[in-house]
Amino acid sequence: MKLITRAFWLVVACTFLFPLYWMCSMSFKTKSEAYDNPFGFPRTWDWHNFSEALSKYHFFVYFKNSLIYASGTIIVTLVTGAMLAYCLSRMQWKLNAAVLLYVSLGLIVPIEVVVIPLFQLIKELHLKESYFGLILPYAGFSLSSCVLMLYAFLRTLPKELEEAACIDGTNVYQTFFRIILPIVVPALVTQGVLVFMRIWNEFPLAFIIASKDDFRPLTVGLLGFFVNVGVSDWGIIGASMLLSSLPTLIIYLIGNEKIENALTAGAILK
Amino acid sequence: MNKYFSTRMSIFVFAAPALLLFSVFCVYPLLPQLWMSLHDHDGFRNLGFVGLDNYREVLADSSFWTAHKNTYLIVGISVFLGLPLSMILALIMDSQTPNLRRFFKSAAMFPAILSVTVVAQIWVAFYEPNWGLFNGILRSIGLDSWTRSWLTDHRTVMPSLGLTFLWQYIGLNAMLLYTGIKTIPKQYYEAALLDGASFAQVSLRVTIPLLRYVINYVVILSVLGSMAFYSHVRVMTSGGPGDLSRTVVYQMYYTAFETSQFGKGTAIAVLFVLECLVISFIIQRFAAREKLEF
Repeated sequence: MKLITRAFWLVVACTFLFPLYWMCSMSFKTKSEAYDNPFGFPRTWDWHNFSEALSKYHFFVYFKNSLIYASGTIIVTLVTGAMLAYCLSRMQWKLNAAVLLYVSLGLIVPIEVVVIPLFQLIKELHLKESYFGLILPYAGFSLSSCVLMLYAFLRTLPKELEEAACIDGTNVYQTFFRIILPIVVPALVTQGVLVFMRIWNEFPLAFIIASKDDFRPLTVGLLGFFVNVGVSDWGIIGASMLLSSLPTLIIYLIGNEKIENALTAGAILK
Repeated sequence: MNKYFSTRMSIFVFAAPALLLFSVFCVYPLLPQLWMSLHDHDGFRNLGFVGLDNYREVLADSSFWTAHKNTYLIVGISVFLGLPLSMILALIMDSQTPNLRRFFKSAAMFPAILSVTVVAQIWVAFYEPNWGLFNGILRSIGLDSWTRSWLTDHRTVMPSLGLTFLWQYIGLNAMLLYTGIKTIPKQYYEAALLDGASFAQVSLRVTIPLLRYVINYVVILSVLGSMAFYSHVRVMTSGGPGDLSRTVVYQMYYTAFETSQFGKGTAIAVLFVLECLVISFIIQRFAAREKLEF
């Protein structure tokens, strides 16, 4: 029985890891080897795919853009989201329950369905040639889960924290930024990871709004590159895919426990 | 303290930025969407009010119904095939030694970390008719007659896309379910195992019923996620052959941005938002609501 489950697991793990292996091996193959030896180990290790991919594929531009979109969205979402969550969990406001319900609406509407009016809106606000054209909508759509999760977290904190601060004479802004925020850092990290994963891989909205090459993130830029190369040179395609995946793979290998905990936190909280 | 904290000013400062962002970019677009769907619009100019004509045209268009069939096929695949598979993975993950489990957890998560563009392109190569993986395997075991051009054959294109989608998210769902299993106290199934129940019986009778809260969450995530299935189609088939692999979201994009019929595109979007609302309502309604106590 034990042997069977072991064998089963080995097959499953191979199924998950094989495409990764294939991408790596492909990027070291020459154009002709890619065709007669598509799935084996590379016969000769050929590095020139990488140099060619780097010269034709604007990897660093797209990478920088993806980084700006992801970090910009994280900052805007976490700061505004934490403030709203704090307001809803601590301040006496008769609209609290209504606002909470309103914000949770965002969990049901997928970002894809408002792409057309968003496209028009971004154009009218003259944000199309700017990073904010994607950061602001991304933040708007990331807010729901961020606010709901931080709200649940903040409700568990004892009120004495602020009462002490209040007696010391600090105002509400200082209390929030100096006392509350440092305490909720673990929850913020979780949300940060979730937002990063979602934005780094976001495709449908970026495809429409970041139509100019200078503003394209990796996901969209990579597709444009595939279209340019055509399906003739798989070595270069492999190299460009590997380059684009390396940053997230490295981050994942370093922080996989934390990332897994962050990704699964939502399942338990519910 | 509350008088001191909850001034009108501080409530405004704390609530306004997030509410403004959320309202402008997430909720407000639904309104011009509704307005636009009643007009003839080419993306630049409004060409006049047409009432419900856009809806009538959309509903009469066979591509719209093909797109629906495809979208719900993907939803079906991810719920009725993906969820049981993820469940099996999660249950077996739970019965492994910690070291082995850590390795398999990472392996299962890898696909979800790669970007859709990369995953879709890798699978384009696997489905390639001349040297691709699937045809290669079929040839090597002597089933030459089964080989086909997976992504351009109208019978295999949607199942092929579905398989790629499953591969990318099955591991992530298994992780979510496994996290739920971890929160169930061990005594529950140890007791059942002592009574002589098999692993399968314990899983079906004890673990899965106790997990319904997490399962509910995973079902909502995967239904809404597969409703919006778009990126894989864009990279792998561009909706082809013809319109046979278009999903609802793809059909919406196509109508608006490739044929410049923004009015019709938004009509599809409005119908689709309603569908999403109805479906999440149904899931909420039928899924377990009461909290479980251990």
